[in-house]
Amino acid sequence: MIAQRVGVAALRRGAAQPFFAQTLPRAALAASMSTTPTRSWSTSACRRPISPHLGIYKMEQTWFGASAWTRITGCVLSGTMYTYMAAYVVAPLVGLHIESASVAAAFGSLPFAIKGGLKFALGFPFAFHFFVGLKHLVYDMGKGFAKDTIIKSEKILWGVSIVGGLVLAFFV
Amino acid sequence: MGGRPSAATRGAFAKSSFQSQLMGVAAFHNTARRSAILPPGPQRIIGTVNDPAPVPEPSSAHGSYHWSFERLLAAGLVPLIVTPFASGSLNPATDAILCSVLLLHSHMGFQSVVIDYIPQKTYPGLRKIFWWLLNAATVTVGVGLYEFETNDVGITEAVKRIWRA
Repeated sequence: MIAQRVGVAALRRGAAQPFFAQTLPRAALAASMSTTPTRSWSTSACRRPISPHLGIYKMEQTWFGASAWTRITGCVLSGTMYTYMAAYVVAPLVGLHIESASVAAAFGSLPFAIKGGLKFALGFPFAFHFFVGLKHLVYDMGKGFAKDTIIKSEKILWGVSIVGGLVLAFFV
Repeated sequence: MGGRPSAATRGAFAKSSFQSQLMGVAAFHNTARRSAILPPGPQRIIGTVNDPAPVPEPSSAHGSYHWSFERLLAAGLVPLIVTPFASGSLNPATDAILCSVLLLHSHMGFQSVVIDYIPQKTYPGLRKIFWWLLNAATVTVGVGLYEFETNDVGITEAVKRIWRA
């Protein structure tokens, strides 16, 4: 298939070029006649790039899409829980103290800015995942799929989640 | 091969064909940058072009029930998380339910991550490894949550104490 296209392209190119430039593509065309088409088709098909490729979209179209961030924030929250709880199981075996009292004491001794930063690093994902989760439950009922609604709700979602994260970090 | 072309001709063809394919791909993508995402991974074609894509065996356990269960867990988490913090009172039973639902919700979320990013078709071995790693992690975390609920102050109270430390 591709080999045929090469031949056609070569012939088109050949029409506007002097004779000596045509000889090589023509030889190539002749060579392609004797190859097995299925094999060349399958090898070229396996070399194709996969799609969709995030890089082909404008930043504002995909980078702040709620769907991807639902997964990212969920993985941050669940990842934190998995890490802490798995560590809690092995801590006594290796003599680590990560029970809630020691963690609270260690956390309390940190400077205000770092405490706030860490709280925001968990508070924002929590707020985002919480609100986007509610939004997805509304989607699951088949509501809110108008394009304007999606654009508007995503903007509101980001605003509310950032404010929510800040409130959780500094005012709770 | 029928009439064998000379080695030189075949070489020239192989090169020009491969290059034109690469150029075609590059032109289609319209960028000289290297891929920002992982390469596609090994691909193979099963059967021929005219074979239809296989339709999976229908199963409500993997389909609608799974979907409803996922939503039920997600919706259930809303009151389970809001109530203890809003009311300020603690109930060990509610806390235990919260832990279980959180664990299942996380496990199902991680499962869909593994399913999406380690395709069965492309990396069957790696998929199996990660699938069982996730299962092992979830069991470990389940044990951790049980220990934490029984020997420590419980997840709600712990978050509260650390948050206000």
